[in-house]
Amino acid sequence: MTVSLFVQSLINGLNQGAIYALIALGYTMVYGIIRMINFAHGDFIMIGSYTLFYTVPIMINIGMPAWLAVIIAVAVCMTVGVLVETIAYKPVRKAGSMSALITALAMSIFLENLAMVLFGAKPHNVAKIFALPTINVMGVVLPLNVLLTIAIGVGIMILMQVFIKKTKMGKAMRAVPQDKDAAILAGINVNRIITLTFAIGSGLAAVAALMYCAKYPRVTNDMGSMMGIKAFIAAVLGGIGIIPGAMLGGILVGLIEIFVKLFAPGWYEAITYSILIVILLVKPSGILGKNLGEKV
Amino acid sequence: MKKRAASAVLSATLAASMVLGTTAFAEEEDNVIKIGVICSMTGGSAVYGEGAQNAIDLAVEEINSSDSEYKVEIVNGGKVVDDATDAKQAINAYNSVMSEGPEAVVGCFFSSVTLPIAEQAANDGMLLLATGATNKDVTLKGETIFRNCFIDPYQGKMAAQFVKEQGWEKAAVIYAKDDDYSNGLKDAFIENAEANGIEVVYIGECTTKDTDFSSQASQAVANGADFVYYPCFLDTVPLLVSAVRDAGFTGAIMGGDGWDGSDTSGMEDYFDNCYFTNHYSSEDTAPAVANFVSKYTEAYGTESLNACAALYYDAIYMLVQAAENGGGSDTASLVKGMTGMEFTGVGGTFSLDENGDALKAVAINTYEDGQVKWMMTLSPEGEKTE
Repeated sequence: MTVSLFVQSLINGLNQGAIYALIALGYTMVYGIIRMINFAHGDFIMIGSYTLFYTVPIMINIGMPAWLAVIIAVAVCMTVGVLVETIAYKPVRKAGSMSALITALAMSIFLENLAMVLFGAKPHNVAKIFALPTINVMGVVLPLNVLLTIAIGVGIMILMQVFIKKTKMGKAMRAVPQDKDAAILAGINVNRIITLTFAIGSGLAAVAALMYCAKYPRVTNDMGSMMGIKAFIAAVLGGIGIIPGAMLGGILVGLIEIFVKLFAPGWYEAITYSILIVILLVKPSGILGKNLGEKV
Repeated sequence: MKKRAASAVLSATLAASMVLGTTAFAEEEDNVIKIGVICSMTGGSAVYGEGAQNAIDLAVEEINSSDSEYKVEIVNGGKVVDDATDAKQAINAYNSVMSEGPEAVVGCFFSSVTLPIAEQAANDGMLLLATGATNKDVTLKGETIFRNCFIDPYQGKMAAQFVKEQGWEKAAVIYAKDDDYSNGLKDAFIENAEANGIEVVYIGECTTKDTDFSSQASQAVANGADFVYYPCFLDTVPLLVSAVRDAGFTGAIMGGDGWDGSDTSGMEDYFDNCYFTNHYSSEDTAPAVANFVSKYTEAYGTESLNACAALYYDAIYMLVQAAENGGGSDTASLVKGMTGMEFTGVGGTFSLDENGDALKAVAINTYEDGQVKWMMTLSPEGEKTE
């Protein structure tokens, strides 16, 4: 392997990893607050992507920058996220984590099929979102949207950390998973906090959709399932519920996939999944996770 | 007396049933060919099924309103049966078609779906006229299996011939490991490329579900390729093309008939210098093509006007010609008429060889501003028309 191919693969891995990281941030956010794995998160990204597919051409037509379409996508995703939470997740919350998990899986399949009915099964190309140049240095191609994706990921990560650690609302969010009853006694409206969490998580999905569509300009109704699983692996790898962990996990999964493809192309998915198993065996709480064990 | 009466009744019934039997037989010997049609009507390839349905409707209407000796009837109320582009669904589709007693079955467009059907049809002695299924094993399943398209090795061979003519020297191949069609084209291309003095510098694997091709694209570039062959289906083509172009590759990218109908919107400039081999080109000036294209466009527009539509259209006409050659509309006569047939249609003039495969020219298409443009037609003997 030449040096330039190595550097190129590093960039490719970072590019893919940064997108996984953005998706994993949403996963981890929801899990961190309500201890629920929202398997429909990948499908929120699908909804965000379809919104972009329809709104990006409108933005271009009225002479606005294409990426402003993300504002509409965030609004749509937040609405869908809150609706899903109120209609499907809230009623089963008391029934335990198994019911919540199954409901989330059902919701994922429902959204995918709903999208097939609404938008058809044919894949659609999303119009070009960023007109960023690529830099060519000594045979290595560096697309600038890699840097942009990473910057957005790091930016969101810092914002989330500040929000959760410093604001009153963030403190309430952290209080809910620690002890729901005590949180209620302290005057926290638990239902509102959970709804807010879903709104933020779904909004993040729309941002992830923007960066995803900038790199892979294609939307299909089933795009969310595979991507959701990869991002879930990333979140677990970094330590689920820990915001910087999602960033780290996402970038690691992206790098691993690209480098495995260099040496054993047919194996990349088998290896990615076996990493999840190994991590869970060695360090069940993930790379940045603290080995505290579940509080009862 | 009682006995005699009973025997009289018996013989009467016997005679009646014989008469009925003959009429039933005569009904089968009518001049209507009952055809079952299978294609992908749902999923990522639904656009093919749409084209097939329209083309079938068009052909049936034309034949039945003409003075042709044989008429056609499509079972299932004239509707194409969905195989969902899935090998398991395909057998269900085949069984549902068979329950209506067709004399011939037309389909399917994908090799992976057609292979199990061909196996079943060969066992049942049913005539199967495969349309887009280009895997070479399809017609080897039995004597009653035919097709009106070329086969994978042939498409790969013609691609290699085209590369040689264009003077490209270093080829990279990226193919979907989990797909029969892709493997078939890849093997044939590599074999013929080496025979034509083209160096294969990189062979990359992917799957039909992949979205990220940046690793394969970078390796193709790092190995100094000036040509990328991607024999996969339309839904991932835009992703592959954008990944390869983003990796800084400016050379030619080529695929097979699976590229037909790829969405190029938003990436028109990326598709410059891209090519694919196909069964026919709508810009071909031959009269059969012009007639089909104008009638189809008038009735259904151009969105589903793809090679799949052309192949299903030809298939119906081939069965009518087979009935004329074989002198009957039953399966046995159709098989007899089909064997070794010479046919002229939208897909050009071709003959069926001893395996039931069509020996025909390939159309090579390129893109201009994202629109498919016919470039040339390469014949099996290496003749070309531009």
